Amino acid sequence: MELIETRSLSKRFGQHIAVDGVNLSIKEGVCTALLGPNGAGKTTTLNLLTGLITPSTGTIEFDQSYQGDRRQYIGYLPQYPKFYEWMTGEEFVIFAGELAGLTSKQAKQRTKEMLDLVGLNDNSKKKIAGYSGGMKQRLGIAQALVHEPKLVILDEPVSALDPLGRKEVLEMMKRLKEHTSILFSTHVLHDAEQVSDDIFIMKDGKVVIEGSLTHLQNTYQKPTFFIEAEDKLEGWVETIKGQDWIDQYSLDGKNLTLTVDNVEEARKRILKDPMFQELEIYKFEVAKTSLEDLFMKVTES
Amino acid sequence: MLFKKEWTESVRSYKILWIPVVFILLGITQPVTSYYFADIIGQFGGLPEGAVMDIPIPTGAEVITATLGQFGQIGFLVLVLAYMGIVAKEKNHGTQILVLVKPVSYTNYLTAKWAHLLCISLGSYAMGYIAAVYYTFLLIEKMVIADLIYGGIIYGIWIAFVMTVILCLSALLNSTAFVAFAGLGLTVVLSLLSSLTPDLMTLSPAMLTSHSQNLYQTGQVGSGFGLNLAFTLVLIIGILIGTIYLFHKKEIAQHTT
Ligand SMILES: Nc1ncnc2c1ncn2[C@@H]1O[C@H](COP(=O)(O)OP(=O)(O)O)[C@@H](O)[C@H]1O
Ligand SMILES: [Mg+2]
Repeated sequence: MELIETRSLSKRFGQHIAVDGVNLSIKEGVCTALLGPNGAGKTTTLNLLTGLITPSTGTIEFDQSYQGDRRQYIGYLPQYPKFYEWMTGEEFVIFAGELAGLTSKQAKQRTKEMLDLVGLNDNSKKKIAGYSGGMKQRLGIAQALVHEPKLVILDEPVSALDPLGRKEVLEMMKRLKEHTSILFSTHVLHDAEQVSDDIFIMKDGKVVIEGSLTHLQNTYQKPTFFIEAEDKLEGWVETIKGQDWIDQYSLDGKNLTLTVDNVEEARKRILKDPMFQELEIYKFEVAKTSLEDLFMKVTES
Repeated sequence: MLFKKEWTESVRSYKILWIPVVFILLGITQPVTSYYFADIIGQFGGLPEGAVMDIPIPTGAEVITATLGQFGQIGFLVLVLAYMGIVAKEKNHGTQILVLVKPVSYTNYLTAKWAHLLCISLGSYAMGYIAAVYYTFLLIEKMVIADLIYGGIIYGIWIAFVMTVILCLSALLNSTAFVAFAGLGLTVVLSLLSSLTPDLMTLSPAMLTSHSQNLYQTGQVGSGFGLNLAFTLVLIIGILIGTIYLFHKKEIAQHTT
């Protein structure tokens, strides 16, 4: 059993389908990224999981071994967390802990640990109204973790931060991964690559690609040849296409992009091909496609 | 803790201070001005001898009734303005998301606010009422204590009703201005209808005010009081339950992108 599984989860706002038949499975002890451009439906999906909104159709199942209201096992940081600004940071985290069912003594203890973890101890007695954006973000993480949830859901935890803050929060997430399962959303592939084990890529309310990071890398990060010539490459491509060392090709007049499984073999084959030697090549480049290319391709179309 | 949080919020915004102060001032004003009214007229009005007799000092019952009238206007206005956002503001700011994403029941969330509203409004009202009674006794006349207590409680139930309506509107509407408008509007309409066509409105919660007036003047409530009281209590509970139900059905997360 996975920690959370959804089946054909959909959410409709009037005419607009924000989430469309999504099947997610979030494993315990794993960091999962929900990746997609703005408006893909990430926030809506996370709101469905936390129960803040109800699905139009489809089901959400939480691990059977955790009985009762699933909110008690979930910690949530919204994309734009809003606090009671008249409270101090410390008061807010204690309040959150007590709401989650901790005794006031436990809540105080955990609050101290969490504020330590996110580095807010020096400011814990200040009113939240005086916090900077980065401090509020860290406070948001502290309140999400205070009741030791099985799953922490973070909606765009680094998007609003400057590069330094970004790095800090990503580092914090790496440490967090040791203790709890994480599900976070982002529109930046690089963030997902840094910390996540599993990735779901969303576009227009649907999951278009999913799998473990290593699986995606193995599948989509392939050696690639970029070949450019003076004359049209069509004739030559006709003779080699369909051969089994070629994975994919795309030809645009005088430009050829060729992905292959094995660079060594492919290079030998190309360079030894008599017909290729006849061509007036002026560019011959070997590189690797990145997930970035894949992500761009998926999200742009 | 939700209840405690409401208290802390009221303390930090000084509502806990100025709302009772308003009610106490209102409570003092009526008996004191009534008492000095004749004097003031006599000194500045230059009325002829004997005319003073035409402006008698009002009876205690009249003074207390007038005080409740003040509570029903200025008092309500202050309460409504102070608490029209009790739920609506949290919805608009999004602060309630971090609360309701924790394993907190919607019932607890709303009843904590309801209980707080009743504590503040009835507490302030009680202080104002006691002040009014004290100065009436001091300056005007003594009245039957038991009638005052019963009358005060009856009027308090009308206040509880109005506060429940405010909570309901605040939970279901997004605009605080509209909450205030609809809340005060409903109060005024109910009060007017009840005084203009009392025969049709025997069950209206606003009728409770006239029952409390009867009590002060004659020592007895009007007819149909029992049913009126029971109906109002049922309405309060009904509105509360209905609000919780409808609030639960509403989507909490607001549009962000
Ligand atoms: N409450 C809402 N009412 C109507 N449309 C909404 C609402 N919330 C989100 N949407 C729409 O649903 C789509 C997905 O939004 P969202 O889940 O916030 O995307 P993301 O978080 O991936 O940027 C968007 O087109 C957005 O305009
Ligand atoms: Mg979003």
